[in-house]
Amino acid sequence: MIELYRIWKQYQKPHWALSDITFKAEPGDFWFVTGPSGSGKTTLLKIIYREIRPTSGQIIINGRNILRIPDHKIYQLRRRMGIVFQDFKLLFHKKVFDNVAVVLQVLGVAQKEIRRRVFQALRMVNLHHKMWEYPSQLSYGEQQRVAIARAVVNQPQIILADEPTGNLDPELAFEIMSLFKEINSQGATVIICTHDRELIRHFGEKILFLYKGKILRKEIL
Amino acid sequence: MQAVFFLNSDISPKARQEIEKKLAASATVKKFHYVSPEEAAARFKDKFPELSRVVDSLGFNPFPPSIEVTFSKKSLSSAQVEKLLSTIQSIPGVEEVQYNLEWVDRVQAFGRLITAIGFFLGGILILASFFIISNVIKLNVLSRKDEIDILRLVGASNFFIRVPFVLEGMTLGLIGGLASLLLLFLTIQLLPLYVGTSLGALTELIRFRYLTSSQSLLLVASGIFIGFLGSLSSVSRLLREE
Ligand SMILES: Nc1ncnc2c1ncn2[C@@H]1O[C@H](COP(=O)(O)OP(=O)(O)OP(=O)(O)O)[C@@H](O)[C@H]1O
Ligand SMILES: [Mg+2]
Repeated sequence: MIELYRIWKQYQKPHWALSDITFKAEPGDFWFVTGPSGSGKTTLLKIIYREIRPTSGQIIINGRNILRIPDHKIYQLRRRMGIVFQDFKLLFHKKVFDNVAVVLQVLGVAQKEIRRRVFQALRMVNLHHKMWEYPSQLSYGEQQRVAIARAVVNQPQIILADEPTGNLDPELAFEIMSLFKEINSQGATVIICTHDRELIRHFGEKILFLYKGKILRKEIL
Repeated sequence: MQAVFFLNSDISPKARQEIEKKLAASATVKKFHYVSPEEAAARFKDKFPELSRVVDSLGFNPFPPSIEVTFSKKSLSSAQVEKLLSTIQSIPGVEEVQYNLEWVDRVQAFGRLITAIGFFLGGILILASFFIISNVIKLNVLSRKDEIDILRLVGASNFFIRVPFVLEGMTLGLIGGLASLLLLFLTIQLLPLYVGTSLGALTELIRFRYLTSSQSLLLVASGIFIGFLGSLSSVSRLLREE
C-alpha cells in the first residue's frame, strides 16, 4: 500500500510542482497518472521512490514512513520496486544483458538464475535477440524496452513506470501494457504515468488527473 | 665523572709510571686503568661494528694508548681535579686530556636524529600516498557518478557500490608497495656505483640494507592497507553527499 498525505513539493519559488496531493494506492491497484507536460507526474513518482523529498507531507509505503528511512538503507525500499524512468537510465557501457542483470546482481542472485531470469524478462519485451548489444546500438524504443525488462525482472511488489510506452508504436505499447497488467494480476501495485489517451481508454481502471501540480480529479472506472 | 689521558705511543715507561704514581696518590681519584692500543681497537670495533672493517683495512692501529681515570663523586669539578689534570698534562708524553665523554652521546643522538627524520619522512610519504589514492578514487567516483546514481536507484547498497572502488584503491596500494620495493632495490644497486668510492669510510656509516622479507611484506601490506583506507574514505564521503 502506497499512501501520500498532503504532499507539497517546491523546486524553486514561487512555483509549486505538487500542491496538496493526497493519494492512496492499494495492493493490486493499477493506476494511471496523467496530465499535461509539467503537471508533476515525474515529480510524484520521484517522491514515491524517494529520489527527492517533498517540501512537506508524509508518504507511507507498506506501513512505513519512507521519509524516515536513513539514506544508507533506502536501497531496501527500491529493491521492492521496479522503476521505468522517463529517461531510461541505462548503463551505456554495459551490454543489454548486464543492464537487466544488475538488479539481480545487487541482490546476490546466483549467476545461473540471473541468466535464466534476464533472458525471460528480455523475451517478454521481445528483445532477447539483442541481449549482447550495447544500449547505444539500440533504437529509442528498444532502449525503453530494456528499461522495462529491468523493472520487471525481479518481480517487484510495486511498479512505477514513467511514460513507459512514449517511444513505442501502438501495437508494442499495447503489448507492454498487457505485460504490466499481467504482473499486476499477480498482485503487484502498478502506477503508470502517460499522456496516451488510447492506452488509458483501453486499460484504465483508476486514473489520477494532474494539472499544474494539483489533483484535478480521480476517476475509478 | 671520567677523564682520559691520551699518551704518545712511544711514551717512556718512566713517564707512565710517574703518571700512575700521581694518580694513585691523589685523593680525588677513585680508580684508573691503562688502555693499550689493542684494547682500544677492540673496544671500538665492539661499539661500532659497522666500522670494524675500516679499522682492519688500515693496516696499522690508529689508537693511542691512554689512561682512563674515574674521579670520586665528591670531587666533581673541584679545583683539586683541575690541578691534577694540569700537572699530569705537563708530563712529557701526555698528548691530550679529555674529560666528560659527551661525544659518544652526541654520536648516538645523531643516530637517533637520523632515525627520527626517517620516520618523519616516512610518515609524510604515507600521508601523501593516502591523499593521492583517495583523490584518484574521488575523481573516479565523480566521473562515474551517473552510473552510481543509477545503481542506487535499482537497489544497490552502498557496500555494493563501494566494493569496486575499494578494490581499485587496494590495487593502487599494492602497485605502489611493489614499486617502492623495486625502487629501493635499484637505489641500493646503483647508488654506490654513482657515488663511487669517494665517500670512503662514510659508505660504511650510511650503509644501505635491503629490507628483510618480513619488512618487505609489511611494506606491501601497508600499501594495500593505505589504498583500502584512502579509497574507502573518499568513496564514503561522496556517497554521503546526496
Ligand atoms: N529538478 C528540477 N528543478 C526545478 N524544477 C523542476 C525540476 N524537476 C521538475 N521541475 C518543475 O516541476 C514541474 C513538474 O515537473 P515534472 O517533471 O514532474 O512534470 P511531468 O508531469 O513529468 O512532465 P512531462 O510530462 O513533460 O514529463 C515542472 O514545472 C518542472 O519545470
Ligand atoms: Mg515526466
